[in-house]
Amino acid sequence: MRTTTVEDRSVAHACAVPGSEEELWEVSAAFLADGLAAGEQVVYFDDGTADAVLGRLVDDRVPVDGPLRDGRLRVVETEVTRAAMRIPLHEAASGFAALIDDALGAGFPGIRWTGQYSSRLRPHAGLWLADYDAAMERALVGRPARALCLYDRTRYPDDVIEVMRGLHDVQVESPALYDDSLLRVTRVRPFRLRLAGEVDHSNRPVLNRLVAATLDEALRGHDSPAVLELDLSSLRFLDVAGAVALVHAAEEFPQSHRLALSGVRPGVQRVLDRCGAPFAAQLDVTPHPGSRCPGFPLPPPADPPDGAA
Amino acid sequence: MRVETTRSAGVVRLRHGVGFTASAADVVDRAAPLVAAARARGEPVALSVRADTARALAERTAAGAGTAGAPPDPPIVLARPEGPDRSGQTLAARWARELRTVTRSRGGVTVVVEHDGELDGTDGAFWTELDAALNLALSEVAATVVCLYPQLPLHREVVDGAGQTHPLLLVDGVLQANRRYREPRELLVERGVPAPAVLGPPDRRIGFDTWQLAAVRHGVADAAWAAGCDGDRVEDLVLAVNEVATNAVEHGSGDVHLDVWDGGRAGALVCEVHDGGRLADPLPGLRAPHPADPRGRGLWIARQLCDLLHVWTDAAGTHVRIRALP
Repeated sequence: MRTTTVEDRSVAHACAVPGSEEELWEVSAAFLADGLAAGEQVVYFDDGTADAVLGRLVDDRVPVDGPLRDGRLRVVETEVTRAAMRIPLHEAASGFAALIDDALGAGFPGIRWTGQYSSRLRPHAGLWLADYDAAMERALVGRPARALCLYDRTRYPDDVIEVMRGLHDVQVESPALYDDSLLRVTRVRPFRLRLAGEVDHSNRPVLNRLVAATLDEALRGHDSPAVLELDLSSLRFLDVAGAVALVHAAEEFPQSHRLALSGVRPGVQRVLDRCGAPFAAQLDVTPHPGSRCPGFPLPPPADPPDGAA
Repeated sequence: MRVETTRSAGVVRLRHGVGFTASAADVVDRAAPLVAAARARGEPVALSVRADTARALAERTAAGAGTAGAPPDPPIVLARPEGPDRSGQTLAARWARELRTVTRSRGGVTVVVEHDGELDGTDGAFWTELDAALNLALSEVAATVVCLYPQLPLHREVVDGAGQTHPLLLVDGVLQANRRYREPRELLVERGVPAPAVLGPPDRRIGFDTWQLAAVRHGVADAAWAAGCDGDRVEDLVLAVNEVATNAVEHGSGDVHLDVWDGGRAGALVCEVHDGGRLADPLPGLRAPHPADPRGRGLWIARQLCDLLHVWTDAAGTHVRIRALP
C-alpha cells in the first residue's frame, strides 16, 4: 500500500485511518477544503459529525456558508446517510453514479465525497464494507470523482480496519507531533505548530515540552525565524495552568524571540487575559477572525434515533 | 461579569479591626467618627450595616458636614449574601471585588461592617469565616475595615471568633494591635469552615481522575446549557469547575467525584467536587495570585466566575460547592 497526503489529487479512491477525533476532523476538513479550492462539488455524508467537520473548516478559514448555499458543499443528512447503507448493493452503486452525473450535469468539473457513509454497517461489517467499497470503486473508475473512505479507530473495530486498509491501494496519512485523543499537535511548517482539542492537567506537560523544544530548535538554527507560532484555531479549551504556562514561556523567551498565539477563540482568549497575557511583552495574541467559531461546549446535539440494523 | 487580573505582589495593606458594642446606639456612636474622619480625608465610605444604622449615620454625618461645600458622596453599600447558602468566603471574595474597584480609582476606602444576627446560621460561625476570609481576600487592598460586634451576641462563637480574626482592636476610637489575633488559615483549620445546607441527591454523579477531566467538563457544559446559560457563560463555568476538579485530582486522594444538580431549582446550576484529601489552605483562591506563582490562580479565577464557591473540610475530605446563575 502507498501512503500520501490529503492534498494529493492524483488519487481517486483512498482511505484514512484517523486515530483520534481531532485527526478525523482534520482529515475530513482538509479533503473537503481541497475539493472546494479545485472548484469541485464536495459532499459530506453526515452521521452526527458534520458540525465538528464544518467547525474545523471554519477554524481553517475555509468559507462554508456560501458553498453550502449554492451547492458547492453538500451535507447529506444523517438519516439519509444511514438509509443509504440499508439499500441493496447494486442500488448503492447506481446511487454513487447518479451523484457523479448530477454534479457534472450542474456544471462542476468533478466531485468528491467523504464522511461517515459506512460507519453504521454492522454486523458482518468486514464483508459488507468490502462489497460496498467495491461498488464505490466501480462507480469512481474512469470518472472525474474521488472518495476518501474514513475508518477511524473510535468507530471501527481494529480487525475491520485491517480488512479495509487491505482493500485500498492508497492511504492518506496526517502525521502529528502528539495526539492523545484530547489534544492533537501538528507541525504546519517549521516553527509553527497547530493545536487542536483541549489542554488540561493531563496533557499540559506536553505543551511546555513542545514550546521549549521549538524554542530550542529556533535558537540553534542560523536563519530560523524570531517568532514561534502556535495556531490555536482549533483549541477549544485551555485550562488556567496551561494559559499561565504559555504566558510564562513567553516571559522567559530570550529578548530576540517572541511567542505568537494565533486564531485564538473567545473562550481561550478570556483565560489568557485572566492569566496575564496582556502584560507579557513577548507574547502576541491574535483572535480568530471567524464569525462562526463554536467554542468548546457545543450544545448537546439532538442525536437521531439509530435506525441502522 | 468583570474579571480582575491583578498583578500586584502580596503586600498587606488591609487594616482590619473590631469593636465590641453595648447597644444599637453604641454602634452609631462608634461608627460615626470613623465615617466623619474618612470624609475629612476625602476617602470613600462603604457600609454593610442595618438599615437603621445607615439612616442614623447619614443624619449624623450630614449634621457634621454643614459648613463644607459639596455634600459628600453617599456611602457605597456592600453586597449582602445571596442565595440559599451562607458562605463567608464567597461574601469576602465579592467585597474584595467591590472594594478593589473603589480603591483603584480613589486610593483608599473606609468600611464599616455591623453584625447582623440574621446571618448567624446555627452557631454564628459564618462571621468567623467571613472575617478570616476578609484578611486573605483584602490583604493587598488599601481598606480600613472596622467590624462592630455586640458584646453579648446570641452565639458565643461570634465574639470568640471576632476576637481572633481581627488584627486590630477599636479602643476609644483608635485602632490598636489585637493580642489575640491569629493567622486566619490556622484558625480556620482548627475551628472548621461551616458546611453549606444539605442538598438532595444529585441529578448526576461523575467519578474522575486526572485523565477524565474532559468528562467533568462535558457534564458541566450539559448542565449549564440546560440551566439556560449562553455560550460564554457555559465556557466560564466549565473553566471554573475544571479548575476545582483539577485541584481535587492534584491534591486530593481517594474517591474524587463531581455531583451536578441541574438548573431546575432556583434557576441555578449547582456542582460539588468531593475528594478524600485535606487542603493545607482551608480557604484557597482568596488572595489575588502573585504573577510569578504558577499555582493558586485556578481557584482564584473560579471564585471570580461563580456566584458561590464554598470550600469546606470534614472527616470525609474536602468539598467544594459551586453555584452559578445563568
